[in-house]
Amino acid sequence: MIPLGWYLTLSATLFTIGLVGFIIRKDLIVMLMCLEIMFNAVNIAFASFSYYNASLTGQVFVLFTIAVAASEAAIGLAIVLALVRNTGINHSDEITQLRN
Amino acid sequence: MNPVVEQAFFTYFFISLCILSIGVIASRNIIHSAFYLLIFLLHVAAVFLFLNAEFLMVIQIIVYVGGVLALFIFAIMVMNIKEELKHKRFVRFALAGVLIGAVFFSGVYLFVKDAKITEKNLPEVDVSLVGKLLYSYYLLPFEILSIVLLVALIGGIILAKKLPREDR
Repeated sequence: MIPLGWYLTLSATLFTIGLVGFIIRKDLIVMLMCLEIMFNAVNIAFASFSYYNASLTGQVFVLFTIAVAASEAAIGLAIVLALVRNTGINHSDEITQLRN
Repeated sequence: MNPVVEQAFFTYFFISLCILSIGVIASRNIIHSAFYLLIFLLHVAAVFLFLNAEFLMVIQIIVYVGGVLALFIFAIMVMNIKEELKHKRFVRFALAGVLIGAVFFSGVYLFVKDAKITEKNLPEVDVSLVGKLLYSYYLLPFEILSIVLLVALIGGIILAKKLPREDR
């Protein structure tokens, strides 16, 4: 049987990769994709806690997380679309409307 | 199942999930990132199957692959992605970001590496048990979640609506 620590290590690794990608990428859509990677890492941790504690609460929380992630993707992509259409900016380091 | 086979499958999924997520953040073309993300989400669905969560596997495939990823590809196709190849991919302080990630991962790994487990595992459960728990004990969070989804729907429509010319 696979120990719980392996699943948690997998979750921590994926979360770290998503975090690093969110910090170092310039493109706004790829930053939203890295958010999806982080949500999936947390979902793996919830599901493994649900399995190793013999409780269904973790699966219910994964459902909540998936719904929040879906609404976050819709709102984030709407914001990026509005930004691109109104200013033509697609990269996070070009957003300088608040400077000076 | 045979434990050696189980560990071999887990090792395969660990390595391929890491490679696919690195592919999402390191590929130059943005549509390649979207396809790496597609295969990543399908692999996560397979990991849910290991954890006796078949309902979550189906929800993962329907919501993420069918909804969120279609939304991403729609947004990529609406925008102009030709200029992407001329830009640099990473910010100036990318090395500092990798360093922060390494510190974060080592901290979480030290916290997590010997997690104790009870001997009792989740048996093969029926989906109706998840539904009973969701509609009895977690009824109030479920209703709050429906309001969150409604607000996201209305906000998305209002944000993506085309503004009239004089309001810009």
